Amino acid sequence: MNTNSNVYTVIYTTVVCVLVAAVLAFVSQSLKSRQADNEKAETISQILTAAQFGEKEHWQEIGNAKTIEFFKENINGENTRIYSTSDLKALNYKIKDGIVKSEELPRYVFNNGIVVLPVYGAGLWGPVWGYIAIADDYKTVTGAYFDHASETPGLGGKIKDDPAFRAQFAGKKVIYDGNGPLSIIKGGAPAGMENAVDAITGATMTSKGLHEAIATWLNAYKDYIEDAREVGEAIVTIVNGIEKSGTNAQEE
Amino acid sequence: MEYLSLFVKSIFVDNMIFAYFLGMCSYLAVSKNVKTANGLGIAVIAVLLITLPVNYLLNKFLLTPGENCIFGPDVDLSFLSFIIFIAVIAAITQVVEMVVEKFLPSLYSSLGIYLPLIAVNCAILGGSLFMQQKEFANLGESAVYALGSGAGWYLAIVALAAIREKLSYANIPAGLKGTGITFITVGLMGVAFMAFMGLAI
Amino acid sequence: MGKMKETILNPIFKGNPITVLVLGICSSLAVTVELKGAFVMALSVIAVTGLSSLVCSLLRKTIPNRVRIIVQLVVVALMVILVDQFLKAFEATYAIDKQLSVYIGLIITNCIVMGRIEAFALGNKPLPSLFDGVANGAGYGMILIIVAFFRELLGSGTLFGFRIIPQALYDAGYVNNGLMILPPMARIILGCIIWAHRSIDKDLQEK
Repeated sequence: MNTNSNVYTVIYTTVVCVLVAAVLAFVSQSLKSRQADNEKAETISQILTAAQFGEKEHWQEIGNAKTIEFFKENINGENTRIYSTSDLKALNYKIKDGIVKSEELPRYVFNNGIVVLPVYGAGLWGPVWGYIAIADDYKTVTGAYFDHASETPGLGGKIKDDPAFRAQFAGKKVIYDGNGPLSIIKGGAPAGMENAVDAITGATMTSKGLHEAIATWLNAYKDYIEDAREVGEAIVTIVNGIEKSGTNAQEE
Repeated sequence: MEYLSLFVKSIFVDNMIFAYFLGMCSYLAVSKNVKTANGLGIAVIAVLLITLPVNYLLNKFLLTPGENCIFGPDVDLSFLSFIIFIAVIAAITQVVEMVVEKFLPSLYSSLGIYLPLIAVNCAILGGSLFMQQKEFANLGESAVYALGSGAGWYLAIVALAAIREKLSYANIPAGLKGTGITFITVGLMGVAFMAFMGLAI
Repeated sequence: MGKMKETILNPIFKGNPITVLVLGICSSLAVTVELKGAFVMALSVIAVTGLSSLVCSLLRKTIPNRVRIIVQLVVVALMVILVDQFLKAFEATYAIDKQLSVYIGLIITNCIVMGRIEAFALGNKPLPSLFDGVANGAGYGMILIIVAFFRELLGSGTLFGFRIIPQALYDAGYVNNGLMILPPMARIILGCIIWAHRSIDKDLQEK
């Protein structure tokens, strides 16, 4: 057979293309749900780690199915859509353009009162993102988890890999003052500043990027957080009032 | 302003050679003298500048699911992206080769066999894959990124060729001659480029 | 049998694709910061070189000469996409696939793959082609793992993520070499490996 004729060449390439496309379409379709599960479970495990339900390794150990199940059991509220990193990126543009309302942003409220808020921004090499967990007073940070696409392992990569960096966030407070809602400060946060943590030594640009990501997003959540605090304070006042009237009633 | 910062960043900070190791094969093979390095560098800029925006459009309107996809919002063809990108690159390189052969015969003869090699130059495919990863907002950004990373590659290869021309007079241990010393030179140049990141080591 | 042994051993030592032929360095060095990534990358490259050499060798009598390169490219791209899809689908490898990011895709343009198809698979039977592909992938992977070993040990004090350098040494004032985890050191280490290799095997020295 003459393998150099035009007809043969055209038929050959067509057959190869169709075959390859068919194989790829088949494989991609059959693996798609597993890939989607992996992605979803990864995001959920980051949220759960931030909310201090367990360490990141724990979720990896128990696997996708159990992680998703745990999340469903403990999450409170209707809006439990999982935002992928590209969804967060799209929201990040909207936040910067100022065209998104605070209540439209994703938030994960758990049954134990913990609220987890995502943050997203640019690090040194690529995007950095993460989740910040806040207690039900909408002020005290209880935990955080960060991830990145391509920061240098051992330097900027520490935002993910160094538990000590993440641990700093627990106990800090989100305060809307001149120091920013929650800052990462190069050279170390001054003692007594309640809304700042230390930056990573040697990873100035990544720390700065993460700082800006947190500032941008927490400022976008400002209305939501302040409303929630007011509601919280109102409830506290009412509860105190009821208790007071209760004690008054007893005295009478 | 955004474009300028993207441009400068892709030349110096995100340098294809020094930060991502892309296009190293032809980088090492064609950097023996400044003249050919110059030619290959320009060819890389040209090919990047054409392929990256083309792949950007394909990625946006064909491969990524969503409102822009011409097959409807639910069709996800992103698994085909590698094959589409490399096909576009191979075809465009072929065209550039033919154009250069017709209009710039002297450049064509000096580049010799390296022009077809651009098709398998990691910097070109890498550019498209980074474009996909970085999710640029518009065509302009992808073109600026292509120009910047091509210019960074050009700068790197011309600088290395100049150093290698001088190096041929140096007295180098026998085992280190050729490839060995070139790698170490590139490493040291890379250390210098690290300064652009503002990193404290 | 002797020939087969030659086919397998030659690419690993004397004709190593990275240190001797200087092929495929493009994507190799960026993944050598940690052993785990280097290991997965090495396995992926072995799979891609082996399988695409096998397929191209099976097709060798049917491929029209004019579209030879593009058909090879399609076969290689197919294998790389398959590897990428599988890495993404399994829970154990998902995180590593994310870490390797674009470098899995860049196996397509790894000169070793195309080089072995052109130089070997198109002129040989399927089985030797498969071995040749796997051996070249292994020679490549070996260098990746050596470089990653030094970079992770000296840069982070760990191997496969486990701490190797004892805490006592840090307390005594030892610090990790931050330069090791930055890109330039990969090249300097590779330069040194080539130096060592060529000092032992004097035939390879360049004039």
